[in-house]
Amino acid sequence: MATAIQVDHISKSYGSFQAVRDLTFEVYSGEIFAMLGPNGAGKSTTIRMILDILKPDSGIIRVLGGKIDESIKNRIGYLPEERGLYRSVPVVDVMTYLGTLKGLSSNEARKRSLAYLDKLELGEFAKKKVSDLSKGMQQKVQFAVTVLHDPELIIIDEPFSGLDPVNTLIVEGLIKEFRAKGGAVVMSTHQMYQVEYLADRLVMINRGQQALYGQVDEVRNRYALPAVIVEGEGNWAALPGIERVETETDGRGTLLFLKANTQADDILEMIAKRDDFHVRRFELAVPRLNDIFIQVVEQGRLGA
Amino acid sequence: MSKAWLIARREFVSNITKGSFLFAAFGVPLVVIALLFLVFFVIAQSEDDTERIGAVGYVDQSGVFSDAVDVPEDFVAYESAETARAALDESEIGAYFVVPENYLALGNIDTVSRTSLPEALRDQFDAFLISNLGRDLQPEQIERLIEPINNTVLTLDNGRRLQSDALLGLLFTPFIFVFVFLLGSQTTSSYLMSGIVEEKSSRVMEILVTTVTPFQLLFGKIIGLGALGLVQLLAWIGAGAIVLSLGQGIPALQGVTIPLDLIVIGLLYFLLGYFLLASIFAGVGAVSSSEQESRQLAGIFSLGFSVPFFFITQFLTDPDGPLVTFLSLFPFTSPVTIMMRMGFGAIPPEQLILSIVILLVTTLIVVWASARIFRWALLLYGKRPSFGQIIGALRRSPVMATTPNESAGR
Repeated sequence: MATAIQVDHISKSYGSFQAVRDLTFEVYSGEIFAMLGPNGAGKSTTIRMILDILKPDSGIIRVLGGKIDESIKNRIGYLPEERGLYRSVPVVDVMTYLGTLKGLSSNEARKRSLAYLDKLELGEFAKKKVSDLSKGMQQKVQFAVTVLHDPELIIIDEPFSGLDPVNTLIVEGLIKEFRAKGGAVVMSTHQMYQVEYLADRLVMINRGQQALYGQVDEVRNRYALPAVIVEGEGNWAALPGIERVETETDGRGTLLFLKANTQADDILEMIAKRDDFHVRRFELAVPRLNDIFIQVVEQGRLGA
Repeated sequence: MSKAWLIARREFVSNITKGSFLFAAFGVPLVVIALLFLVFFVIAQSEDDTERIGAVGYVDQSGVFSDAVDVPEDFVAYESAETARAALDESEIGAYFVVPENYLALGNIDTVSRTSLPEALRDQFDAFLISNLGRDLQPEQIERLIEPINNTVLTLDNGRRLQSDALLGLLFTPFIFVFVFLLGSQTTSSYLMSGIVEEKSSRVMEILVTTVTPFQLLFGKIIGLGALGLVQLLAWIGAGAIVLSLGQGIPALQGVTIPLDLIVIGLLYFLLGYFLLASIFAGVGAVSSSEQESRQLAGIFSLGFSVPFFFITQFLTDPDGPLVTFLSLFPFTSPVTIMMRMGFGAIPPEQLILSIVILLVTTLIVVWASARIFRWALLLYGKRPSFGQIIGALRRSPVMATTPNESAGR
């Protein structure tokens, strides 16, 4: 897979405050890459360095195969955290102008803008001023601006903020479509559940440093407890190979901590053979990304 | 550079179709000029209007008017000041002149009237006096005494020839030119500034800076809006030329032309002055947190441009004095000063060249400094950076900053 972004040991300080410290990661084409971290961790600074707004004090960043320049900028789409559209200008005009700045011809930009507006069910708002649109509509327009020029890489900061569930689904669909066409997506968000089912890989930044990096599933498994979650009836504590039993945090299931050398498969096999046990749910106790996030941040705080 | 061109085109197109621009560019000056002409005609009219005074009395105690000749219509002789006064009180006459006994020795005339007298009535009385004082002379000689120089031709030191009647036009031309210049450069510069403030506050800037460089953005805006100002100026020159060609019958406009040197030098100063003002406004817009704040800051600079207006009398009375020379050289006042002086007379070429060089160098320095501040401050939101922080950003090689302390030193 082609490397869309290569961040190689970058550091950045503001005066005596070190915002980013020796950060390294890569983003590939055809994947959704999540960028996580608490507020002030250095995510925005990193994004701005990737976009060439800020220069790293040290380290190298390569975007779409080279050092960023004007032609590479035309191949990137950026959705900033704080939305940016001209307010008192018709929607289609704003989109067309921003599209031409990304290298589209005026006609092409206008044609694509109208097509996108239709796709986003905003066709009737094309001639309306941006300020007449609801927050959610503006958000969809902003997303359309990000992908209008068919970029190879999009960097989207909190892409779902202000969207209702229906519109969230629409934007999710567009992001997946973009990935399916081989585009690289860098998504910065605090919505952990969306990362879990949308993102392929992630980097978590804490205090300017890399705290977690890798496949989303792999990271979650890394934090997996030696335990399984079951929902059903039976005297769980009496099973061989069980160290102790806890009620799951959400209260619905039961956490069975396994003794060393015992595998989850063994437990499942045993339960299946016995009549005094009934199971409706059986799964590995893989922690939620949210819990991992909090755990990492807490550890960072203790370690500092 | 093609992106700068796109930005320039947008700034030009989106503003030239705005009603507020068309009004500021053409409506406001039209109203002002119409008012000026109206006031001028009302005054001129009242100076010519002798009829509103009605009959005029005169009391001769010196004997100048014994067996008076050439008595103007409506002039009535009275025996004494008392009877004339009574007639004035009865409103039989609107004014009276008293020629005292010692008039020939002293030349004093007392004038009594209820309202101010029109200039034309005084001229009439002058002519009446001259006719009677010189009644032994030939009529032609009397004529010459009354109007010794007919049709004054002023040859200005820059070679322009003007008839005395056209003096008003002479003063008007540069005045209108300067007015349009100030209006043009200030409206477009303030569009530039408020555009930047809007792009910052609406966060469009975030998108723009990931698409174009700050220099493309600044350059595009200055060029686009400069073209807008130029269109405004050229439209006025064109309108002026039309008015002059249509109005050759009006005495005040006779012989008035828009001289080519005024246009050429004027355009040069317009461009330099505009670049100076626009880049200052761009820098101010970039560091301001609100439109209101930016207007206050920018107001100080635009006031500087109009300072020469306060010294307009000096241009006529002492055009080579130190004050006018200073105003002609100081870069913030030179555009307006030079344009006004060009209407009044020649400017020594070496002074003109020095003035242009000073303005050019200042403009280059300001554009450079402003570009640095612009780039540094594009993504600063919230509080306006302090003066010290701005200077710090100027001195170090600035990159875009997200807090005022960045690259400004601590």
